[in-house]
Amino acid sequence: MQMVAYESRSSVNDIQLITRVVAGDAAAERELYEMYVDRIYRLAFRLAGDDELARDFTQATFIRAFEKIGSFRGESSLSTWLHSIGVSVALNGLRKTKRQRNREAPMEEGLTVGSTRIEAEPDLKERMARAIESLADKYRTVFVMHDVEGYTHEEISGTLNIPIGTSKSHLFQARSKLRVALADFAPEWVS
Amino acid sequence: MTEDNFEEFLKKAAQSYNAPPARTPRDDMWSAIQAQRAAGPRVIYGGGSLAPAPARRFGSRIWVGTAAAAILLLATGVGLGRWSTRSNASSATAVLGPAKAGAGLNAGAGTPDAGLNEGAGTPGALGPGGSGAVASTHTAGGEGGKASPPREPVRIGGTRRPRALDGTDGTVAVTAPSPNSTSNATGNSAYQLTAVRHLSEAEALLTSFRTRTTADQQMDAQMGSWARQLLSNTRLLLDSPVANDPQRRPLLEDLELVLVQIVQLSPGSTPQDREMIEKTLRQDHVMTRLRTAIPAGAQRGS
Repeated sequence: MQMVAYESRSSVNDIQLITRVVAGDAAAERELYEMYVDRIYRLAFRLAGDDELARDFTQATFIRAFEKIGSFRGESSLSTWLHSIGVSVALNGLRKTKRQRNREAPMEEGLTVGSTRIEAEPDLKERMARAIESLADKYRTVFVMHDVEGYTHEEISGTLNIPIGTSKSHLFQARSKLRVALADFAPEWVS
Repeated sequence: MTEDNFEEFLKKAAQSYNAPPARTPRDDMWSAIQAQRAAGPRVIYGGGSLAPAPARRFGSRIWVGTAAAAILLLATGVGLGRWSTRSNASSATAVLGPAKAGAGLNAGAGTPDAGLNEGAGTPGALGPGGSGAVASTHTAGGEGGKASPPREPVRIGGTRRPRALDGTDGTVAVTAPSPNSTSNATGNSAYQLTAVRHLSEAEALLTSFRTRTTADQQMDAQMGSWARQLLSNTRLLLDSPVANDPQRRPLLEDLELVLVQIVQLSPGSTPQDREMIEKTLRQDHVMTRLRTAIPAGAQRGS
Protein backbone atom coordinates (compact mmCIF):
# COMPACT_ATOMS: atom_id res chain seq x y z
CA MET A 1 0.00 0.00 0.00
CA GLN A 2 1.34 3.39 -0.87
CA MET A 3 1.43 6.06 1.75
CA VAL A 4 2.17 9.49 0.45
CA ALA A 5 2.88 12.68 2.32
CA TYR A 6 1.04 15.57 0.77
CA GLU A 7 1.47 19.24 1.27
CA SER A 8 -1.55 21.44 1.15
CA ARG A 9 0.20 24.08 -0.94
CA SER A 10 2.83 24.02 -3.61
CA SER A 11 6.34 23.60 -2.34
CA VAL A 12 9.26 25.69 -3.56
CA ASN A 13 10.42 22.77 -5.69
CA ASP A 14 6.99 22.48 -7.25
CA ILE A 15 6.96 26.16 -8.10
CA GLN A 16 10.43 26.00 -9.64
CA LEU A 17 9.45 22.98 -11.66
CA ILE A 18 6.24 24.61 -12.84
CA THR A 19 8.10 27.77 -13.80
CA ARG A 20 10.48 25.75 -15.94
CA VAL A 21 7.63 23.83 -17.57
CA VAL A 22 5.77 27.03 -18.35
CA ALA A 23 8.96 28.42 -19.87
CA GLY A 24 8.99 25.47 -22.26
CA ASP A 25 11.78 23.45 -20.67
CA ALA A 26 11.36 19.94 -22.10
CA ALA A 27 13.54 18.39 -19.41
CA ALA A 28 11.30 19.87 -16.74
CA GLU A 29 8.25 18.36 -18.41
CA ARG A 30 9.88 14.96 -18.35
CA GLU A 31 10.89 15.48 -14.73
CA LEU A 32 7.34 16.34 -13.76
CA TYR A 33 6.08 13.32 -15.67
CA GLU A 34 8.55 10.96 -14.01
CA MET A 35 7.66 12.30 -10.58
CA TYR A 36 3.98 11.60 -10.82
CA VAL A 37 3.34 9.09 -13.58
CA ASP A 38 3.47 6.03 -11.33
CA ARG A 39 0.83 7.28 -8.94
CA ILE A 40 -1.43 8.64 -11.67
CA TYR A 41 -1.19 5.41 -13.64
CA ARG A 42 -1.77 3.24 -10.56
CA LEU A 43 -4.85 5.21 -9.61
CA ALA A 44 -6.15 5.18 -13.19
CA PHE A 45 -5.62 1.44 -13.33
CA ARG A 46 -7.38 0.87 -10.02
CA LEU A 47 -10.35 2.85 -11.24
CA ALA A 48 -10.43 1.46 -14.76
CA GLY A 49 -9.26 -2.11 -14.25
CA ASP A 50 -7.88 -2.13 -17.77
CA ASP A 51 -4.38 -1.40 -18.95
CA GLU A 52 -5.36 0.29 -22.17
CA LEU A 53 -7.87 2.58 -20.51
CA ALA A 54 -5.41 3.35 -17.72
CA ARG A 55 -2.80 4.34 -20.29
CA ASP A 56 -5.29 6.51 -22.16
CA PHE A 57 -6.35 8.26 -18.98
CA THR A 58 -2.78 8.79 -17.80
CA GLN A 59 -1.71 10.23 -21.15
CA ALA A 60 -4.74 12.49 -21.29
CA THR A 61 -4.02 13.65 -17.75
CA PHE A 62 -0.50 14.77 -18.57
CA ILE A 63 -1.44 16.31 -21.90
CA ARG A 64 -4.07 18.34 -20.18
CA ALA A 65 -1.75 19.20 -17.31
CA PHE A 66 0.93 20.50 -19.68
CA GLU A 67 -1.65 22.57 -21.52
CA LYS A 68 -3.14 24.04 -18.38
CA ILE A 69 -0.11 24.37 -16.19
CA GLY A 70 0.15 28.07 -16.97
CA SER A 71 -3.14 28.58 -15.17
CA PHE A 72 -2.07 26.62 -12.08
CA ARG A 73 -2.23 29.11 -9.22
CA GLY A 74 -0.49 27.06 -6.55
CA GLU A 75 -3.47 27.03 -4.21
CA SER A 76 -3.00 23.31 -3.77
CA SER A 77 0.07 21.15 -4.18
CA LEU A 78 1.09 20.17 -7.68
CA SER A 79 0.38 16.57 -6.78
CA THR A 80 -3.18 17.35 -5.69
CA TRP A 81 -3.77 19.37 -8.84
CA LEU A 82 -2.47 16.58 -11.06
CA HIS A 83 -4.49 13.96 -9.21
CA SER A 84 -7.66 15.98 -9.52
CA ILE A 85 -7.12 16.13 -13.28
CA GLY A 86 -6.37 12.41 -13.33
CA VAL A 87 -9.45 11.41 -11.36
CA SER A 88 -11.64 13.72 -13.40
CA VAL A 89 -10.32 12.34 -16.68
CA ALA A 90 -10.69 8.75 -15.48
CA LEU A 91 -14.22 9.14 -14.15
CA ASN A 92 -15.41 10.97 -17.25
CA GLY A 93 -13.82 8.33 -19.45
CA LEU A 94 -15.34 5.52 -17.44
CA ARG A 95 -18.79 7.08 -17.66
CA LYS A 96 -18.53 7.11 -21.41
CA THR A 97 -17.39 3.51 -21.44
CA LYS A 98 -20.18 2.51 -19.08
CA ARG A 99 -22.69 4.27 -21.29
CA GLN A 100 -21.51 2.19 -24.20
CA ARG A 101 -21.80 -1.01 -22.20
CA ASN A 102 -25.33 -0.02 -21.26
CA ARG A 103 -26.13 0.44 -24.92
CA GLU A 104 -24.93 -3.04 -25.63
CA ALA A 105 -26.64 -4.57 -22.63
CA PRO A 106 -30.13 -4.96 -24.15
CA MET A 107 -28.78 -7.04 -27.02
CA GLU A 108 -26.64 -9.17 -24.75
CA GLU A 109 -29.55 -9.71 -22.41
CA GLY A 110 -31.63 -10.78 -25.38
CA LEU A 111 -29.12 -13.45 -26.26
CA THR A 112 -29.15 -14.98 -22.78
CA VAL A 113 -32.91 -15.16 -22.45
CA GLY A 114 -33.96 -18.70 -21.73
CA SER A 115 -30.61 -19.90 -20.60
CA THR A 116 -30.09 -20.79 -16.99
CA ARG A 117 -27.04 -19.30 -15.41
CA ILE A 118 -25.33 -21.63 -13.08
CA GLU A 119 -22.66 -19.92 -11.09
CA ALA A 120 -20.09 -21.50 -8.91
CA GLU A 121 -19.60 -19.91 -5.54
CA PRO A 122 -17.18 -17.13 -6.28
CA ASP A 123 -14.11 -16.77 -4.18
CA LEU A 124 -13.38 -13.76 -2.04
CA LYS A 125 -11.38 -11.94 -4.69
CA GLU A 126 -14.15 -12.19 -7.22
CA ARG A 127 -16.86 -11.23 -4.75
CA MET A 128 -14.81 -8.33 -3.52
CA ALA A 129 -14.28 -7.03 -7.03
CA ARG A 130 -17.95 -7.31 -7.85
CA ALA A 131 -18.95 -5.60 -4.63
CA ILE A 132 -16.59 -2.68 -5.23
CA GLU A 133 -17.78 -2.34 -8.82
CA SER A 134 -21.35 -2.09 -7.61
CA LEU A 135 -20.57 0.93 -5.44
CA ALA A 136 -21.58 4.36 -6.66
CA ASP A 137 -18.72 6.26 -8.29
CA LYS A 138 -18.29 8.67 -5.40
CA TYR A 139 -18.05 5.85 -2.84
CA ARG A 140 -15.87 3.67 -5.03
CA THR A 141 -13.43 6.49 -5.75
CA VAL A 142 -12.99 7.37 -2.11
CA PHE A 143 -12.71 3.71 -1.10
CA VAL A 144 -10.11 2.95 -3.77
CA MET A 145 -8.10 6.03 -2.93
CA HIS A 146 -8.19 5.50 0.84
CA ASP A 147 -8.32 1.80 1.53
CA VAL A 148 -6.60 0.50 -1.58
CA GLU A 149 -4.09 3.18 -2.54
CA GLY A 150 -3.55 4.66 0.90
CA TYR A 151 -4.42 8.30 0.29
CA THR A 152 -5.37 10.33 3.34
CA HIS A 153 -8.71 12.07 3.70
CA GLU A 154 -6.92 15.41 3.27
CA GLU A 155 -5.50 14.28 -0.03
CA ILE A 156 -8.84 12.88 -1.18
CA SER A 157 -10.55 16.08 -0.12
CA GLY A 158 -8.13 18.17 -2.19
CA THR A 159 -8.24 15.88 -5.18
CA LEU A 160 -12.00 15.46 -5.37
CA ASN A 161 -12.70 18.97 -4.15
CA ILE A 162 -14.98 17.78 -1.36
CA PRO A 163 -14.87 18.49 2.38
CA ILE A 164 -12.89 16.07 4.52
CA GLY A 165 -16.08 15.13 6.36
CA THR A 166 -17.69 14.14 3.08
CA SER A 167 -14.70 12.00 2.23
CA LYS A 168 -15.01 10.22 5.58
CA SER A 169 -18.72 9.81 5.12
CA HIS A 170 -18.27 8.34 1.64
CA LEU A 171 -15.72 5.89 3.00
CA PHE A 172 -18.07 4.86 5.79
CA GLN A 173 -20.88 4.30 3.29
CA ALA A 174 -18.62 2.29 1.03
CA ARG A 175 -17.42 0.08 3.86
CA SER A 176 -20.97 -0.47 5.10
CA LYS A 177 -22.11 -1.60 1.68
CA LEU A 178 -19.12 -3.86 1.33
CA ARG A 179 -19.74 -5.37 4.74
CA VAL A 180 -23.22 -6.38 3.64
CA ALA A 181 -21.99 -7.64 0.29
CA LEU A 182 -19.26 -9.72 1.91
CA ALA A 183 -21.33 -10.99 4.83
CA ASP A 184 -20.61 -14.56 3.78
CA PHE A 185 -17.00 -14.05 4.69
CA ALA A 186 -17.75 -12.64 8.16
CA PRO A 187 -15.97 -15.49 9.97
CA GLU A 188 -12.75 -14.30 8.43
CA TRP A 189 -12.83 -10.96 10.17
CA VAL A 190 -14.83 -11.91 13.25
CA SER A 191 -12.19 -14.43 14.18
CA MET B 1 -12.76 -4.56 17.74
CA THR B 2 -14.83 -6.30 15.09
CA GLU B 3 -14.94 -3.05 13.19
CA ASP B 4 -11.16 -2.78 13.24
CA ASN B 5 -10.88 -6.36 12.13
CA PHE B 6 -13.23 -5.72 9.30
CA GLU B 7 -11.24 -2.69 8.13
CA GLU B 8 -8.06 -4.70 8.24
CA PHE B 9 -9.66 -7.52 6.36
CA LEU B 10 -11.13 -5.14 3.80
CA LYS B 11 -7.89 -3.28 3.15
CA LYS B 12 -6.00 -6.52 2.78
CA ALA B 13 -8.54 -8.19 0.54
CA ALA B 14 -9.08 -5.09 -1.58
CA GLN B 15 -5.44 -5.01 -2.62
CA SER B 16 -6.30 -7.53 -5.29
CA TYR B 17 -8.94 -5.21 -6.75
CA ASN B 18 -7.80 -3.99 -10.18
CA ALA B 19 -4.21 -4.57 -9.16
CA PRO B 20 -1.95 -2.58 -11.49
CA PRO B 21 1.11 -4.17 -13.07
CA ALA B 22 4.32 -3.88 -11.09
CA ARG B 23 5.97 -1.81 -13.78
CA THR B 24 4.44 1.36 -15.14
CA PRO B 25 4.81 1.62 -18.93
CA ARG B 26 6.46 5.01 -18.54
CA ASP B 27 8.35 5.19 -21.82
CA ASP B 28 5.44 3.99 -23.93
CA MET B 29 3.11 6.54 -22.43
CA TRP B 30 5.67 9.33 -22.71
CA SER B 31 6.16 8.56 -26.40
CA ALA B 32 2.41 8.63 -26.93
CA ILE B 33 2.12 11.94 -25.08
CA GLN B 34 4.89 13.46 -27.15
CA ALA B 35 3.34 12.20 -30.37
CA GLN B 36 -0.01 13.71 -29.53
CA ARG B 37 1.44 17.01 -28.42
CA ALA B 38 3.57 17.20 -31.55
CA ALA B 39 0.35 17.14 -33.54
CA GLY B 40 -0.46 20.49 -31.97
CA PRO B 41 -1.98 21.97 -28.85
CA ARG B 42 -5.44 20.73 -28.02
CA VAL B 43 -6.80 23.34 -25.76
CA ILE B 44 -10.39 22.21 -25.94
CA TYR B 45 -10.31 19.84 -23.08
CA GLY B 46 -12.60 19.87 -20.15
CA GLY B 47 -12.48 18.57 -16.64
CA GLY B 48 -16.09 18.01 -15.85
CA SER B 49 -17.49 17.68 -12.41
CA LEU B 50 -17.35 14.66 -10.20
CA ALA B 51 -21.10 14.65 -9.83
CA PRO B 52 -22.45 11.48 -11.38
CA ALA B 53 -24.01 11.91 -14.76
CA PRO B 54 -27.65 11.00 -14.99
CA ALA B 55 -27.93 7.35 -15.80
CA ARG B 56 -29.24 6.71 -19.27
CA ARG B 57 -29.91 3.55 -21.06
CA PHE B 58 -29.87 3.41 -24.78
CA GLY B 59 -31.33 0.63 -26.76
CA SER B 60 -30.10 -0.22 -30.20
CA ARG B 61 -33.01 1.72 -31.71
CA ILE B 62 -31.75 4.88 -30.12
CA TRP B 63 -28.70 4.63 -32.34
CA VAL B 64 -30.80 5.34 -35.36
CA GLY B 65 -32.41 8.35 -33.70
CA THR B 66 -29.06 9.66 -32.52
CA ALA B 67 -27.55 9.25 -35.93
CA ALA B 68 -30.50 11.04 -37.54
CA ALA B 69 -30.16 13.91 -35.07
CA ALA B 70 -26.44 14.11 -35.77
CA ILE B 71 -27.05 14.26 -39.53
CA LEU B 72 -29.66 16.97 -39.05
CA LEU B 73 -27.29 18.97 -36.90
CA LEU B 74 -24.48 18.52 -39.36
CA ALA B 75 -26.67 19.65 -42.23
CA THR B 76 -27.72 22.72 -40.24
CA GLY B 77 -24.10 23.51 -39.51
CA VAL B 78 -23.05 23.14 -43.12
CA GLY B 79 -26.03 25.23 -44.24
CA LEU B 80 -25.26 28.02 -41.79
CA GLY B 81 -21.63 27.98 -42.79
CA ARG B 82 -22.39 28.23 -46.48
CA TRP B 83 -24.94 30.93 -45.89
CA SER B 84 -22.51 33.01 -43.86
CA THR B 85 -19.73 32.51 -46.42
CA ARG B 86 -22.02 33.63 -49.24
CA SER B 87 -23.26 36.68 -47.40
CA ASN B 88 -19.68 37.66 -46.60
CA ALA B 89 -18.66 37.35 -50.21
CA SER B 90 -21.56 39.41 -51.46
CA SER B 91 -20.92 42.23 -49.01
CA ALA B 92 -17.19 42.27 -49.50
CA THR B 93 -17.18 44.79 -52.33
CA ALA B 94 -19.94 47.07 -53.35
CA VAL B 95 -19.83 49.84 -55.86
CA LEU B 96 -22.00 52.85 -55.30
CA GLY B 97 -23.35 55.15 -57.92
CA PRO B 98 -21.54 58.20 -59.27
CA ALA B 99 -20.41 60.63 -56.67
CA LYS B 100 -18.46 63.75 -56.81
CA ALA B 101 -14.76 63.18 -56.84
CA GLY B 102 -13.34 64.59 -53.71
CA ALA B 103 -16.67 64.86 -51.99
CA GLY B 104 -16.22 64.31 -48.34
CA LEU B 105 -12.49 64.36 -48.70
CA ASN B 106 -10.17 66.95 -47.44
CA ALA B 107 -8.28 68.81 -50.05
CA GLY B 108 -5.38 71.18 -50.10
CA ALA B 109 -5.37 73.93 -47.52
CA GLY B 110 -8.82 73.38 -46.17
CA THR B 111 -9.41 71.51 -42.99
CA PRO B 112 -7.30 68.50 -43.49
CA ASP B 113 -8.37 66.76 -40.33
CA ALA B 114 -12.06 67.36 -40.56
CA GLY B 115 -12.90 64.34 -42.67
CA LEU B 116 -10.70 62.05 -40.67
CA ASN B 117 -11.92 63.15 -37.29
CA GLU B 118 -15.46 62.76 -38.35
CA GLY B 119 -15.29 59.01 -38.40
CA ALA B 120 -12.74 58.53 -35.73
CA GLY B 121 -14.82 59.83 -32.89
CA THR B 122 -16.89 57.19 -31.23
CA PRO B 123 -16.50 53.81 -32.80
CA GLY B 124 -18.92 52.21 -30.42
CA ALA B 125 -21.69 54.50 -31.55
CA LEU B 126 -21.67 53.46 -35.14
CA GLY B 127 -24.84 51.47 -34.93
CA PRO B 128 -25.49 47.79 -35.17
CA GLY B 129 -22.79 45.86 -36.92
CA GLY B 130 -20.50 48.85 -37.01
CA SER B 131 -16.89 47.95 -36.89
CA GLY B 132 -15.76 51.28 -35.70
CA ALA B 133 -13.02 51.39 -38.26
CA VAL B 134 -13.69 54.28 -40.57
CA ALA B 135 -10.78 55.02 -42.82
CA SER B 136 -11.51 57.87 -45.14
CA THR B 137 -9.10 58.28 -47.98
CA HIS B 138 -7.26 61.54 -47.65
CA THR B 139 -6.05 63.00 -50.90
CA ALA B 140 -5.35 66.35 -52.43
CA GLY B 141 -8.21 66.92 -54.83
CA GLY B 142 -8.12 68.50 -58.22
CA GLU B 143 -10.08 71.57 -57.26
CA GLY B 144 -7.18 73.95 -56.88
CA GLY B 145 -6.85 73.79 -53.19
CA LYS B 146 -10.51 74.39 -52.39
CA ALA B 147 -11.62 72.61 -49.37
CA SER B 148 -14.64 70.41 -49.83
CA PRO B 149 -17.13 70.45 -47.02
CA PRO B 150 -16.85 67.40 -44.81
CA ARG B 151 -19.50 64.78 -45.43
CA GLU B 152 -20.83 61.84 -43.59
CA PRO B 153 -19.01 58.69 -44.48
CA VAL B 154 -20.96 56.34 -46.71
CA ARG B 155 -23.25 54.07 -44.81
CA ILE B 156 -24.17 50.64 -46.00
CA GLY B 157 -26.77 48.79 -44.04
CA GLY B 158 -26.30 51.12 -41.13
CA THR B 159 -22.56 50.60 -41.07
CA ARG B 160 -19.98 53.15 -41.98
CA ARG B 161 -17.63 51.84 -44.57
CA PRO B 162 -14.25 53.18 -45.58
CA ARG B 163 -14.07 54.68 -49.02
CA ALA B 164 -11.58 54.52 -51.80
CA LEU B 165 -11.70 57.06 -54.57
CA ASP B 166 -11.71 56.02 -58.13
CA GLY B 167 -10.65 59.26 -59.77
CA THR B 168 -11.52 58.33 -63.34
CA ASP B 169 -15.27 58.25 -63.52
CA GLY B 170 -16.24 59.68 -60.25
CA THR B 171 -17.50 56.45 -58.76
CA VAL B 172 -16.66 55.69 -55.23
CA ALA B 173 -15.64 52.11 -54.62
CA VAL B 174 -16.58 51.01 -51.17
CA THR B 175 -14.61 48.21 -49.65
CA ALA B 176 -15.82 46.37 -46.60
CA PRO B 177 -12.91 45.43 -44.38
CA SER B 178 -15.00 43.88 -41.66
CA PRO B 179 -16.97 40.83 -42.66
CA ASN B 180 -20.30 40.12 -41.15
CA SER B 181 -18.85 39.06 -37.86
CA THR B 182 -22.10 38.01 -36.24
CA SER B 183 -23.07 35.48 -38.87
CA ASN B 184 -19.49 34.32 -39.08
CA ALA B 185 -19.42 33.63 -35.37
CA THR B 186 -22.74 31.80 -35.60
CA GLY B 187 -21.45 29.69 -38.47
CA ASN B 188 -18.23 28.89 -36.66
CA SER B 189 -20.04 27.99 -33.45
CA ALA B 190 -22.39 25.72 -35.35
CA TYR B 191 -19.46 24.02 -37.04
CA GLN B 192 -17.62 23.60 -33.76
CA LEU B 193 -20.70 22.20 -32.06
CA THR B 194 -21.32 19.84 -34.93
CA ALA B 195 -17.72 18.70 -34.97
CA VAL B 196 -17.69 18.03 -31.24
CA ARG B 197 -20.95 16.08 -31.43
CA HIS B 198 -19.61 14.11 -34.31
CA LEU B 199 -16.35 13.28 -32.56
CA SER B 200 -18.31 12.22 -29.46
CA GLU B 201 -20.39 9.89 -31.60
CA ALA B 202 -17.27 8.49 -33.19
CA GLU B 203 -15.71 7.92 -29.81
CA ALA B 204 -18.86 6.15 -28.69
CA LEU B 205 -18.71 3.84 -31.68
CA LEU B 206 -15.03 3.09 -31.28
CA THR B 207 -15.45 2.44 -27.56
CA SER B 208 -18.27 0.03 -28.35
CA PHE B 209 -16.08 -1.62 -30.90
CA ARG B 210 -13.21 -2.02 -28.49
CA THR B 211 -15.21 -3.13 -25.47
CA ARG B 212 -17.10 -5.91 -27.18
CA THR B 213 -15.74 -9.26 -26.27
CA THR B 214 -17.12 -11.73 -28.77
CA ALA B 215 -17.92 -11.55 -32.42
CA ASP B 216 -21.55 -11.79 -33.30
CA GLN B 217 -23.13 -11.08 -36.61
CA GLN B 218 -25.97 -8.93 -35.34
CA MET B 219 -23.52 -6.68 -33.54
CA ASP B 220 -21.24 -6.44 -36.57
CA ALA B 221 -24.15 -5.44 -38.77
CA GLN B 222 -25.29 -2.72 -36.38
CA MET B 223 -21.78 -1.41 -35.96
CA GLY B 224 -21.35 -1.35 -39.72
CA SER B 225 -24.53 0.64 -40.16
CA TRP B 226 -23.56 3.09 -37.45
CA ALA B 227 -20.05 3.43 -38.86
CA ARG B 228 -21.45 4.10 -42.34
CA GLN B 229 -23.47 7.04 -41.06
CA LEU B 230 -20.50 8.41 -39.19
CA LEU B 231 -18.33 7.96 -42.26
CA SER B 232 -20.64 10.16 -44.34
CA ASN B 233 -20.58 12.82 -41.66
CA THR B 234 -16.81 12.60 -41.39
CA ARG B 235 -16.46 13.21 -45.09
CA LEU B 236 -18.87 16.13 -44.93
CA LEU B 237 -16.81 17.62 -42.12
CA LEU B 238 -13.62 17.08 -44.09
CA ASP B 239 -15.10 19.27 -46.81
CA SER B 240 -16.24 21.91 -44.34
CA PRO B 241 -14.30 24.74 -42.66
CA VAL B 242 -13.87 22.50 -39.61
CA ALA B 243 -11.17 20.70 -41.55
CA ASN B 244 -9.19 23.92 -41.86
CA ASP B 245 -8.09 23.37 -38.29
CA PRO B 246 -4.59 21.89 -38.59
CA GLN B 247 -5.17 19.58 -35.62
CA ARG B 248 -8.62 18.45 -36.50
CA ARG B 249 -8.00 17.57 -40.11
CA PRO B 250 -5.52 14.73 -39.44
CA LEU B 251 -7.84 13.41 -36.74
CA LEU B 252 -10.78 13.38 -39.14
CA GLU B 253 -8.65 11.69 -41.78
CA ASP B 254 -7.52 8.98 -39.37
CA LEU B 255 -11.10 8.59 -38.20
CA GLU B 256 -12.24 8.19 -41.78
CA LEU B 257 -9.73 5.38 -42.27
CA VAL B 258 -10.88 3.52 -39.17
CA LEU B 259 -14.54 3.94 -40.06
CA VAL B 260 -13.92 2.59 -43.54
CA GLN B 261 -12.31 -0.47 -41.95
CA ILE B 262 -15.29 -0.98 -39.64
CA VAL B 263 -17.76 -0.54 -42.49
CA GLN B 264 -15.88 -3.15 -44.48
CA LEU B 265 -15.87 -5.56 -41.57
CA SER B 266 -18.11 -8.33 -42.78
CA PRO B 267 -20.57 -9.95 -40.40
CA GLY B 268 -18.90 -12.80 -38.56
CA SER B 269 -15.47 -11.39 -39.21
CA THR B 270 -12.41 -13.10 -37.81
CA PRO B 271 -10.51 -11.85 -34.79
CA GLN B 272 -7.63 -11.00 -37.14
CA ASP B 273 -9.82 -8.49 -38.99
CA ARG B 274 -10.70 -6.76 -35.80
CA GLU B 275 -7.12 -6.88 -34.62
CA MET B 276 -6.12 -4.88 -37.70
CA ILE B 277 -8.55 -2.15 -36.75
CA GLU B 278 -7.33 -2.26 -33.18
CA LYS B 279 -3.81 -1.86 -34.48
CA THR B 280 -4.74 1.22 -36.48
CA LEU B 281 -6.43 2.67 -33.42
CA ARG B 282 -3.38 2.03 -31.29
CA GLN B 283 -0.78 3.19 -33.77
CA ASP B 284 -2.49 6.49 -34.50
CA HIS B 285 -3.65 6.99 -30.91
CA VAL B 286 -7.05 7.72 -32.33
CA MET B 287 -8.93 7.18 -29.07
CA THR B 288 -6.72 9.44 -27.03
CA ARG B 289 -6.78 12.12 -29.70
CA LEU B 290 -10.54 11.88 -29.88
CA ARG B 291 -10.84 12.20 -26.13
CA THR B 292 -8.56 15.19 -26.04
CA ALA B 293 -10.53 16.83 -28.84
CA ILE B 294 -13.83 16.43 -27.03
CA PRO B 295 -14.55 18.72 -24.12
CA ALA B 296 -15.62 16.67 -21.13
CA GLY B 297 -19.36 16.66 -20.71
CA ALA B 298 -19.97 17.36 -24.39
CA GLN B 299 -22.05 14.22 -24.70
CA ARG B 300 -24.32 15.03 -21.86
CA GLY B 301 -26.48 17.19 -23.95
CA SER B 302 -26.71 14.73 -26.80
